[in-house]
Order: sequence, then C-alpha cells, then structure tokens
Amino acid sequence: MKNLNMPMKKYKYNLVLSSVLLLMAWSVDVVAQGKAAADKPIFKLSYFNVNNSTQYLVFESLMRTEHSVLPQIGKEYEIFLGDTSALVAKIITDKHGKANAVIPPSLKQAWEASSQHIFLVKEGDKELISDYTINKAKITIDTTTADTVHSITATVQTLKDGKWVPAADVEMKLGIKRLGGILPAGDDETLTTDSSGTVTTELKKLNLPGDSKGNYLLMAQVEDNDLYGNIIVEKSVPWGTVPHYNADFFKERHLWSTGRHAPLWLVSMALFIMITVWGTLIYLVFQIVKIKKLGVNNTA
Amino acid sequence: MGCNCGNNGGCSSNSRRDFLSTGLLATLAAAGCSTDNNPFVPDEKPALTGEKVRLLSMDGEVIEMDRAFLKPVPDLPRVSNAEERKGIAGKKFVMVIDLARCKNLKKCQTACNHAHQLNPGQNWIKVLSMEDNENSSKFWQPTTCMHCDEPPCVKVCPVDATFQRQDGIVLIDSDRCIGCRFCMAACPYSVRVFNWEENTTIEPVVAEQHYSCETSLPQKVGTVSKCDFCPDMARKGELPHCVSACPNGVFFFGDLNEDTVTNGAETFRFSELIKDKAGYRLLEDLGTKPSVYYLPPVNRNFPYENGLETQAETDSLNSTK
Amino acid sequence: MLVVICIIGAYAYYRQLRYGLVVTAMRDYVSWGIYISNFVFFVAISLVGSLITAILRLSNVKWSTPLTRIAEIIAVSAIVMASLIIIVDMGSPEKFYNLFLYGRIQSPIMWDVIVITTYFFISCILLYLPLLPDLKILIRHKDKTGSGLNKLYRFQGSFWKGTKEQFKISNKSINILCILIIPVAFSIHTVTSWLFATTYRPGWDSTNFGAYFISGAFLVGAGGVVVAMYVFRRYYKLEKYITELHFDMMAKVTVLLALVYLYFNVNEYLVPAFKMKKSEEAHLSNLFSGEFSLMFWFAILVGMIFPIIILLFKKGRKPLPAFITGIMVVVGAWFKRYLFVTPTLLHPFMPMEDVPLSYKHYFPSWEEWAIAMGSLAACLLIITFFARIYPIIPIEETIMEQNEELEHAHEEV
Repeated sequence: MKNLNMPMKKYKYNLVLSSVLLLMAWSVDVVAQGKAAADKPIFKLSYFNVNNSTQYLVFESLMRTEHSVLPQIGKEYEIFLGDTSALVAKIITDKHGKANAVIPPSLKQAWEASSQHIFLVKEGDKELISDYTINKAKITIDTTTADTVHSITATVQTLKDGKWVPAADVEMKLGIKRLGGILPAGDDETLTTDSSGTVTTELKKLNLPGDSKGNYLLMAQVEDNDLYGNIIVEKSVPWGTVPHYNADFFKERHLWSTGRHAPLWLVSMALFIMITVWGTLIYLVFQIVKIKKLGVNNTA
Repeated sequence: MGCNCGNNGGCSSNSRRDFLSTGLLATLAAAGCSTDNNPFVPDEKPALTGEKVRLLSMDGEVIEMDRAFLKPVPDLPRVSNAEERKGIAGKKFVMVIDLARCKNLKKCQTACNHAHQLNPGQNWIKVLSMEDNENSSKFWQPTTCMHCDEPPCVKVCPVDATFQRQDGIVLIDSDRCIGCRFCMAACPYSVRVFNWEENTTIEPVVAEQHYSCETSLPQKVGTVSKCDFCPDMARKGELPHCVSACPNGVFFFGDLNEDTVTNGAETFRFSELIKDKAGYRLLEDLGTKPSVYYLPPVNRNFPYENGLETQAETDSLNSTK
Repeated sequence: MLVVICIIGAYAYYRQLRYGLVVTAMRDYVSWGIYISNFVFFVAISLVGSLITAILRLSNVKWSTPLTRIAEIIAVSAIVMASLIIIVDMGSPEKFYNLFLYGRIQSPIMWDVIVITTYFFISCILLYLPLLPDLKILIRHKDKTGSGLNKLYRFQGSFWKGTKEQFKISNKSINILCILIIPVAFSIHTVTSWLFATTYRPGWDSTNFGAYFISGAFLVGAGGVVVAMYVFRRYYKLEKYITELHFDMMAKVTVLLALVYLYFNVNEYLVPAFKMKKSEEAHLSNLFSGEFSLMFWFAILVGMIFPIIILLFKKGRKPLPAFITGIMVVVGAWFKRYLFVTPTLLHPFMPMEDVPLSYKHYFPSWEEWAIAMGSLAACLLIITFFARIYPIIPIEETIMEQNEELEHAHEEV
C-alpha cells in the first residue's frame, strides 16, 4: 500500500507544480501583453445639435498610459464629411486634448443631399475615425397644464426620405436646466421614447426657483446616441419662483466684512479709545514742549 | 445693454433662440452687463469671447454666432480683482458630499492638486478617516473648505487678504496676504495650507501670469491657500475638478438659488436631498454656517476597509516627507 | 557675546527670507511656533514698565523709585523686540504696509498693532520725562561721560533747568502717564491673549485668557526686574542704592504675583479637566501626562511653586537667592508661553491625516532657535545699551527721596 501511495503522491505533486508554473507563465504573458498595450491612443468624435439649429463637432484626443489618461495637446487633425474631398475643418487640440469644429457654409449642398452623414478624422495620412455616422434628428418640447399639474412632452423625430418620422427607443434626459446638469422633471433620471417617438413626464419638482422673473429653462438632452449623436433643446417656461437675492450684501456690516464695513459698535469703540489715549499723549508731548520753552526762557 | 449677438446682420432671425442656444453653458453673470437696476440679479447673458464664427445649421441655413456658444467652453477673458472680490451675482454655491459612496480613492485630491499645481504634501482636499464613537463604524470623509457663511478665518485677517463674496465663496488674494497665518489658527476645520516654500510643480507659463484669486494661480511663497470651489469653472458653467474627477460620484455641487446639486451624472433637488437623507454639516455648533453638507454613511456602497489600501499607500508616501 | 548670538540670528533670518518659512519646523498644523511664543513672552515682559513705574509710583511706594529706570528700559526693549519678532514670523513681510493700507479693524492683529504702537510711545515718554533731571546732572559731568554722549544729553535735555514750574509740569505729566499706562498695559496683553482666545481651538477657547495672561505678565515682569536689579547692582556696585530692602520688597511682590498667577492657572486647567470635553481631552492629557508633561510641570513647579516657597522665607529674599528665583521665574515663564502656542495646535478638531509625517510633530529647527535666541540676545543688548548711556538709577529722584527721609528723621527727633 505504501509503495502505491508514493508514486500517486509524486504524480499529484508534479501535477500541482506544473499547473502552478503554467499559471505563472500565463500571467506573465498577460502582464507582458498589458505592458505592450499600455500606451494606447484614444480618439473620440462627438456631434452636437443644439436647439435643432446650431451644430458642431467636438474631437478629443487622449493617450492611455499604464497609470492614467493624458490629453494630447497641440496636435493637428482634419475632419471630413463623407470623403476626403469635403474638408470640414483643420483642428488643433487645446490643453485638454479637445477641439471643436463647425460645418462650414461651403458644404451646404453636400449636407442637404442626405439625411445621414459619415464623418472622418485623419491625422496627416492616417485615418483615425472612418465610420462616425450621424442621422439628422430634432426634438420638440411641448408643455400642457391641467389644473396645477404641468406636463412636459418631448418628441424625437428623424429625417427619412425627406420626411420627419418618429424616432423610437431614444434615451434622453428631460428636465430643468441647472448649473452643470439637468434636474429631472419627474422621478426618473432618464426616459426612453416610445414607438411614436415621444416621452411624457409630469413636473414633480414644484416651486423650483427660476431666474429673477420666475422663468426657467426646460431642457431635453440626448447624450451620445449611436444614431443621432448629442441633441439638446431648451424651452423657457414661467413655472419657477423668484429666489431671494440679497441686494444688501455689500452694504451689511459684519465682523467678517471687509475693513470698511466693520460693525459700527466696533468702529466707534476703537475710535473712542484711540482718540482718548492718543489725545492724552499728544497733550503730554505739548507739555514737554512747554517744559522746553520754560527752560529756554529761563536762560534768556 | 442689449443683446450682444443681435447687432450684426448675419445673426439668425430669432435672436432669443440664439440666446438659448448656449448649449451646455450655464447662466453666467457677465461683469456689469445687467439690464436691471439691481446688480445682484443674475444676468442670463453669457460672457462672450467676441470671436464670431459662421456655420451651417442643421436645416441647411447659414448662421453666425459667438464662439462662446460652442463646447468645449473657451477660456474666458480674465476678470478684474474687484470683480473677483465681488463674486458671481445671484448665486450661492453649495456642496453635498455623500459619505455612503466614498472609498478613499483620493481621485478628488489628485485632480485638485493637479489643477491648482500644488506642491506635493499640500492637499486642499483631505480624505479623513472618521469615527463618531466607538460603536459606530468608521467612514471616509473628504474635507474641503467649508466656505462658511460666517467665516472665522475672514474675521481675523488683518489685511482683507481673505474675503467672502456674494456667491458665498471665500477666496484668498495672495498679493495681499502677509503670511501671518492667523486664519490658519482660526479655522476649526484645518483646511488651510501654507506655502512654506517655493512652488516646484507650477508650469512656467502660469508662473509668469498675474495672480488670479479665482484660479488661485500662481501660488506665492509665504501665503496661505485653500480649496476655492473652483469659481473659474463655475463662471464657465462647469463643475469643480473634484466633482468631475470622483468616479463614485461622491461630490455634488450646485447653487442654492437653483435648489439643485449635481455630480455630473446625477442631479438632485438640494432641499429634497438634505431632508431625505438627513444631511448635516461639520462642527455645526460652532456657528460658522458652512456651505458643505454631508450625507451620512448609511447603506454604504463600499465597506470602510476598501479604503485602507489607498491609505497605506498614502501613509508610506507621507512618511518620507 | 550677545552680539555674536545676534549675528547668528541675523544669518538665520537671511536664510528664512531666501528659502521661505520652510527652514523653520512649522508646518500646516503647528503654524505658529516659537516665534509667536517669543512674541507673547516679550509682550509679557514689557508690562513690567507699567507695574513698577506706574502702579508702585502711583501708590506712593518709596522703595520702588530706584527701580523705575530699570523697569522702563526693560519695557522699551521688550516692546521693540516684540514688534520685530512678529515681522520675522510673517510669511510675506515685504507686504507689511498692507496692514496700514488695507487694515481691518475687526482683526485682533490690528488691535495688537495699534496697542503695541501706543504702548511703545507711552513707554518712551515715561522713560524720557523722569530722565530729564538726570540729564542735567549728566551734562554737568562731561568729564566722566565723554563728549559724544554729552552731545546726546544736551540734545535731549539741555532745556531742563530744574525750576519749580518745570518740575510741576513734569510731575503732573508723569502722573498722567502713569494713570494712562495702566489701562494701555492691560489692553496690550489682553489683546495679545485674544489672538488665541478668539479662535475655537481647545486650550485657547477660554474666557479666562485676558486676566490669565496679564497676571502671568506681571509675574514675569517682576521676576525680570529682580534679575536686572541683581545684575546691575553687582556690575555697577550700587549696593548703597539697591539695598537688601529692595530685594526683600520686590521678592514679596513676586510672591504675591506668583500666587495670583497660580490661581489663574488652576482655573485654566482644573476646570476643563473636570469636564474633560472630547475636544479638550487629548490636549489636557497631553499636558498633564503626555508629550508635553515634562515641560508643563517644569513650568508650573520651577516657574511658580518653587519661587513661592523660596521667597516666603526671609533668607530666601536675600539678593542672591532672589536672583536665582527670578531666573527660575523667567525661564519657567518662557516655557509656559511655549505651552500656550504649540500643544493646542497639535490637537485640532479634525484628525491630522493626509499630510506628510513631519506635519504631525513640532520641534523648532536650528534657524528658529537661532532667531529666537537672537531676539532674546537683542533684547538684552538694547537693555545694556540703554544702561550704558543712561543712569540705571534715577539720580535726581533718589537724591530727593533721601533728602526727604533725612528731613523726616530730623523732624521726628
């Protein structure tokens, strides 16, 4: 029995050892591959359609290293519409690795010819992006008020064969435009359009502060859609309250105000003390002068 | 002052629509460009660069507009020191930090230090390991400047080098600061750092510029500095660097006058958020009235221990300094 | 030798100006170090002027007359050094003028600047006015003083003739000054204490600070005068004028002041220790039994308790033991000022994390020691300088007093 066990044990030991070695070799290989793939450039093109009118492209050029993602600053690229004959713009990236470009009026015919366009990005002769496809689309915001309940409906339509048809299954944010983002009007962070291309939500955020006249902007935003890019539409509504603005901020006197607006009690106390003490001191200086005069007179 | 865009013929017919086509530019208060008599009402007209661009609109029309309406937002012209001391009208900035999400990744710290070109060891944001009492659990607390409504640091400054603006932000003017460090002694949150030595990380281009209170660049030796809520970003309608850098969405930033805070991905109504989640402020009983609210660490996304790894790294780095 | 120390201090300051305050050991948490504790120490010592000159003079205490000059000289030197050391502590001293252009009256530092300037001015006048009769005597003895000093004396006081009217005005003015200097002296040290008491920090957030600091200042002033008395007595052989009686009386004053200061210390430490609030717990236990316990008990025992015990005995009030006790008081007071500043800063409300390790401790660097010792040496230098050019005992007054005593003695007979 013992003899049998020994070879078995050895065999098991060898199996374990070899599998461990294999594992190590594989992981080294993976790490080596990882290191080789470390410095990978990342390019991103985004199309923006604002208020169904203004449109522009934003190009971002980054380099992924082992530890971080760094922007590529000051690099030159060219953006084309459709093919390399129609140059949209020559761009140079800024300190964040981004650059924007508008479609020049010269490409009007090419643009109007179709409802779907492909954008290309080249660096010199190298083609970096060759298949960024955008379909023309637009959003309309409608509002209705029943009793005191406000409803907001956003309709997404895309251009097909010259006609605007509803675009279904489009995810968007619908809400009120705020600093840095959109406050959802209802409960859901995002809404998806149904087969008729619409989303409807009820305004749950009541008595939201607006601007000085009680207006705020409703905003519908489609973000990074595969077909349509980015679409942003705004509409002003008078549903907001007027926030309280402190018009007296620079006139108030506090312990933490600037020197000229010190609290009156402090200023008066300080002045009183200083005038009393220094007044006495000046009087004393005059006394010394008087002594001096007496002395001078005496000799004379 | 009227519409800045409507004076040229090339502008599209509906000038109000062009106002609204600010894209993702938030409401910016242009210096002195207010139609009302009340200078404290925010002006919805954005600050313009003056550079016009002609472009093809989606429906094939040719329109002309200021470059400021296109993303990414270009760097705006410098604001004068007097304007920097006044602040952005009609806004009252506030920050909410969700302690349930913090994992001590310190990405906020890295982004902030990088954006403000601070010396190594100078951290405007400190991620502290806190424990309320022995029986409650530990949690990670990112601590920025509280931008108090009754700031003890401003009370004690002898030369008005640190000041409170109408938008609630407390800034430091390094050209005025004499380095007495009274503000550092007065701050109960210990958020101020001092430039004990010359700044070694600053870019030469930035070092040549005149000091701006809003960017807090270039830092000067012998003066105090601290988190500034990135007012230069707020003027552009963007969020502070720490807010954008946090991968877990811990930081929320916003305007009390809009009653909204956002971390870039999620946006909440501020009053609802604080009431719902029992938001609180640090050292409330000192009466400083801070502008940074904390959401208690309940229903944590990560256990406290997940942050210990980064802590060990930081500690070993710090022990050499 | 004092000059050598000053020169080393000056070199250290040059290094500080060149490289920034990084040459000190102060960092973000302990942002105030021995520069500030030296500042508080100097302000404390400068109160001696008001104590000896003003209070004792106003209460018609005759034995204090020979000591008034010493007291005023110490006061003026200390206040000058206080102003200089605070400029040394500033991170950007080149913007010093901002204090006057953009000053905020809400800031306790502003109050300190105003009061220190006022006190300096008062002390100068209080040094100058009683000096006038002595200047007359000095001018007469040109052969002993030399022509250079003689010119100085003439410029400063040749108009003094010693007439009745001049004396009348002078005496009235000195009396006014003595009355005035007391509230100013009180406010100078109260305002300095408010640099700490207007913050929230444990150890500083105390309502007691004004009275606490003033009583400490009086004590260290008294101790300083005893030391100065002994030194000048020995050096200038003034045994006839600074007699054992003077030591006896000053020592008694010191005991009284030490008891008062001890009382305030008990209030300051025992009461918070009774409550042991969370924010103060670490700070207090650190003082009583932790990192700073050695320094704390040294300051209490050597600075207050031992001097009280020694000076309670008549033998202890003889010149030499009194001198040693005076030194103990002054040294204990210096450490006490250090304990005001640093331990509190090491116990902030928020834990000290996310900072380099060096931020969590504080031991002054050689530059700081050099500058601090340099400032002390400079103070002594100024005192010595004044002592060289002016008589350390008010001659005229002492003579007048001795004449009065003789008259009294005659009358009784």
